[in-house]
Amino acid sequence: MDVKIFQFNGCKKCFNETLLLKEGNKYKVEFISDPKKWKEEKVDVSVITGYLLPNDLEQLEKIKKNSKKIIAYGDCPATGGVFALANQKGHDVSPLTNLIKSTNSVYGCLGEIEELKLVIEGTEVPKLKGLCQVCSRKATCDYLEAINRQIELEDSESCFNDLGFLCSGFTASECKEKCIDYNTPCRGCKPSVDRSGIRMLAMFGTLAGNIEIATEHSVKGATDKLGDEDDDLTDSLPDVVGNFFRFTLPTSGFPKGRIPSSGTLLEDVFIGRLIEEIPLIAGLLGGAKSISLTLKLIESYEKANQIEVSEQTEKYRSELLQLEVELQKTIESEDASKYKEITDKIRSIAGNMNLSNVFFGGFKSIIDPNDDFNEYKAHVFDVVEGTYKNGSIEYTLDQTGIIKEIKISEELL
Amino acid sequence: MSNCEAPDELIQEKIQNIVVFMCNECGQGSANTAGVARMAYDAAIRIIRVQCTGQVGPIQIMEALTNGADAVACVGCCLGACHFFNGNVISMHRIKLMKKVFKELGYSDQFVNQYTSRAAEGETAVGDFEDIIDRLTTAITEKGTIKDGC
Repeated sequence: MDVKIFQFNGCKKCFNETLLLKEGNKYKVEFISDPKKWKEEKVDVSVITGYLLPNDLEQLEKIKKNSKKIIAYGDCPATGGVFALANQKGHDVSPLTNLIKSTNSVYGCLGEIEELKLVIEGTEVPKLKGLCQVCSRKATCDYLEAINRQIELEDSESCFNDLGFLCSGFTASECKEKCIDYNTPCRGCKPSVDRSGIRMLAMFGTLAGNIEIATEHSVKGATDKLGDEDDDLTDSLPDVVGNFFRFTLPTSGFPKGRIPSSGTLLEDVFIGRLIEEIPLIAGLLGGAKSISLTLKLIESYEKANQIEVSEQTEKYRSELLQLEVELQKTIESEDASKYKEITDKIRSIAGNMNLSNVFFGGFKSIIDPNDDFNEYKAHVFDVVEGTYKNGSIEYTLDQTGIIKEIKISEELL
Repeated sequence: MSNCEAPDELIQEKIQNIVVFMCNECGQGSANTAGVARMAYDAAIRIIRVQCTGQVGPIQIMEALTNGADAVACVGCCLGACHFFNGNVISMHRIKLMKKVFKELGYSDQFVNQYTSRAAEGETAVGDFEDIIDRLTTAITEKGTIKDGC
């Protein structure tokens, strides 16, 4: 079967993952990293990766005309993905279904290659379980006492939501990346229902039913009404869009935002996000330099705020950086088995390709069972206002830990 | 977005459909009382009766907004007087989160709201309706609603 992979904009994580299609020589795969240079020949299956902008429409229509089947692979073309958070600042990142009709989608940030294979062949994808069904933690679904922003690693048996950590697992399907195994609550990259973000918001509104909320006296109605001022609920959730709509903003029915854009699309994705979510977001944005970008962001904060980093952490981090270089070489040589080997190594340290395990001050779960976890265990840190700089990146935090400004130089993109 | 200096008539034109979810107990009760007392309220108000405002969530609110509503409000029982358990408070939490989303996207948060009313007093419902329209006017002139700003 003739399969062509088209990479549009953004991180190339899914595009690189399609290297695995070459294993077993089942398909005739061709990688097209610049769709504009494509010569428009007929093709059986076209796989679209990367986020899409309205000016990609012309190219997409050409692809549609020439292919028997078209598949959106990964969250960016399927639901908008993490780059669509820039829509909050007026960008127009759209999922493939909004641009051309009749498409098949493989969800997930990183989409699963096994699922893609099934969709390529036209076999039905088996119904997936919900993430909560495969989660090892136990839920009580009681009302929350408080909402906590930073993960504490003490309790590994209770549901994240019961502990107040906002997990979107209720509306997500089981997945391979499985952030929840690395003490990272789910952010819903693989939705199991439509408009999953809004549904999760409703669910969370219910769970937070005991948290103090502001009410005021309505003069005209002479009764109480919901208040306008900030309260415990809004204070403990400074970034609702980034938490609940991280991957699905364009498909949730909200119009694009009106916050003024302050730079490039990538910088707009970061602005408004919370400092403790940064490792995961930087890891998601991927690209060739995702590991160095993530570690630079973390290290600049650690250095300025004297967060101690153990030798063991440093060792694992430098191992990751080395693997990043090796991964790049492998991708250039299009060697599928080597790619698998290196990504497995990255997964063994960072948890998954989204770097769920990497955090401020250490790692969130044990890497090697023979290690003493206390040596590199991440812990809760204080949010400190200020400007942080580390070589090619610079960012400013406000007192609640929201990124107000960020500058990323081109060598990291 | 800068403040818009639209004339009053233009703003009036933008206030056509306001969906108000009223709970079957106090909310609808007070609207009934208002009807019996022949109190007048704005013709843009469209009431949808629900068993409890706890039934209304972001999905229903977004459905209303994307299908042409200019504003959405819930009117439930007074605090502590929910006829079920705490549906009105839960609904308030959801609406507060919705408001936060609209704010974060750069829109006004005044076009979704939650009120309470007393079944025996029709003026509480009518007062709430007036407040909904006042707030929608503020929303349109300031940062805009998701349907139509300036």
